[in-house]
Amino acid sequence: MHTLNQVNQPRRKLTLRSMIILVLIVIVAPLIPYSVAAVKEGLSNPNPGAQLWRDVRQRDGTVVGQTQARGVDSGILISKEGEQWRQFRMQQFTPYSAMIFAAVIGAFVLYFLVRGRIRIEGQRSGETIQRTTLVARYIHWFAAVIFVLLALTGLILLYGRWVLIPVLGPEGFSATAIACKNIHNYIGPLFLVSVVLLFFVFVRDSLFNFKVDTKWFLKAGGYLGGSHPSSEKFNAGQKAWFWVAILGGLVLALSGLVLDFANYGQGRILMQDAHIIHSISSVLVIAFFFVHVYLASIGMEGALEAMTSGDVDTNWAKQHHDLWYDEMKGQGGGKQDTEA
Amino acid sequence: MARMKFLCDAGRCIECNGCVTACKNEHEVPWGMNRRRVVTINDGSPGERSISVACMHCSDAPCAAVCPVDCFYTTDDGVVLHDKDVCIGCGYCFYACPFGAPQFPGDGAFGSRGKMDKCTFCAGGPETDHSSAETEKYGRNRLAEGKLPICAEMCATKALLAGDGDKVSDVYRERVTYRGASAGAWGWGIAYSKGKQE
Repeated sequence: MHTLNQVNQPRRKLTLRSMIILVLIVIVAPLIPYSVAAVKEGLSNPNPGAQLWRDVRQRDGTVVGQTQARGVDSGILISKEGEQWRQFRMQQFTPYSAMIFAAVIGAFVLYFLVRGRIRIEGQRSGETIQRTTLVARYIHWFAAVIFVLLALTGLILLYGRWVLIPVLGPEGFSATAIACKNIHNYIGPLFLVSVVLLFFVFVRDSLFNFKVDTKWFLKAGGYLGGSHPSSEKFNAGQKAWFWVAILGGLVLALSGLVLDFANYGQGRILMQDAHIIHSISSVLVIAFFFVHVYLASIGMEGALEAMTSGDVDTNWAKQHHDLWYDEMKGQGGGKQDTEA
Repeated sequence: MARMKFLCDAGRCIECNGCVTACKNEHEVPWGMNRRRVVTINDGSPGERSISVACMHCSDAPCAAVCPVDCFYTTDDGVVLHDKDVCIGCGYCFYACPFGAPQFPGDGAFGSRGKMDKCTFCAGGPETDHSSAETEKYGRNRLAEGKLPICAEMCATKALLAGDGDKVSDVYRERVTYRGASAGAWGWGIAYSKGKQE
């Protein structure tokens, strides 16, 4: 037995190997002339019909044909980007943005119920200190009015089909939507002006101070318990809002201009992209805006005065912006008279 | 019920623009706007082909899906129409439409878009058939007169076919099967493959 096996094994191996080689030759050998030709000349035998439909469907990039029509993108037969834009708007942006807004508002309702209004520690002192100049307040409210109008009209145009048509009916909502579209389109360019003005008014106090602001972020501003972290004239959260408002506002304003002035004949793809950028940045800025409004109004006692009279209570200043208060006291800034 | 469809045979279209002219004349489409246009691919080179394109009255119409005021509706004949009294001229249908069908008069302040205009398959709008309001806003309602769209009726080479989808595809199938025409039922995959109506 032993000896027989030793004799048979090499023979079996040989048979197997020659079988494999034979099969490979049968499969590979006929391909050799083709591969040689392909390497040598580059085989290309396109079907002219198939190529036409590839061009029509824009499979290999944009193909613009000749046409007598003098419209926007008239030379393009099928624009595949439209379907992607539709998917973004209907399947992603509309539902997800609604969820984000609901989550932000829900979080504040919850916070208000649990924590309540943040009161001034040790009552009001009766003494005030000037926090904003008249010019800063004017510019703030100029931007605020424009922003609220734009956000409101934009949100009505976005969700109105589902929320307002059942209430107002198609014709009623159409009248509302036309008003919203016109307000949004005509006021929009002013927003760019307001963003630039806001930048110059508040940038000096919005530059991040690494040491102070990192600490503030780590303590979450003291909003979730713990002691109140030190803060300059603007705390790190306010600085973050400044940068979101300015950078987000610039992106919104510039993408908005692309959408607003359709009379310059820009193509659909550019407008779809501008719309997507406009949508995403609007959600970000509006979400931050909710935080800002909550904390400046019902969320915190003594904060709104900074933008109404411009003078805040010294105890509020000590509690929320201690470094700024110390600085102002050192300059003899306390107990000022309000300007006219 | 019929399911109205357009079919442009790219093997037959000779870029005469007869359909474009007939459409503009029939509906008195204003300056600068075209409900139908002819596009030529590879103009002047081998493989040149012309295709007449307008609203294809899609089964799952992207314009209707994205409209913020929901002004589109599909008739029993499968024709996609819109209500100009409700339209706000936002341009979203133009972003979504693969065929570039929606047209806008730039008559708002600062050249902003007016109410959208597009091919109606010669079927008018939501107003009473043949009323002056319907004619003024949407052009003539030939379907209500028992006629088919003027563009296809006028087509000299019968490249552009319009009518019930089954009949249109029968005509085209006959061309391909018995008369040796090359297959080129342009845009049908995009327009009619999705949605409930076929």
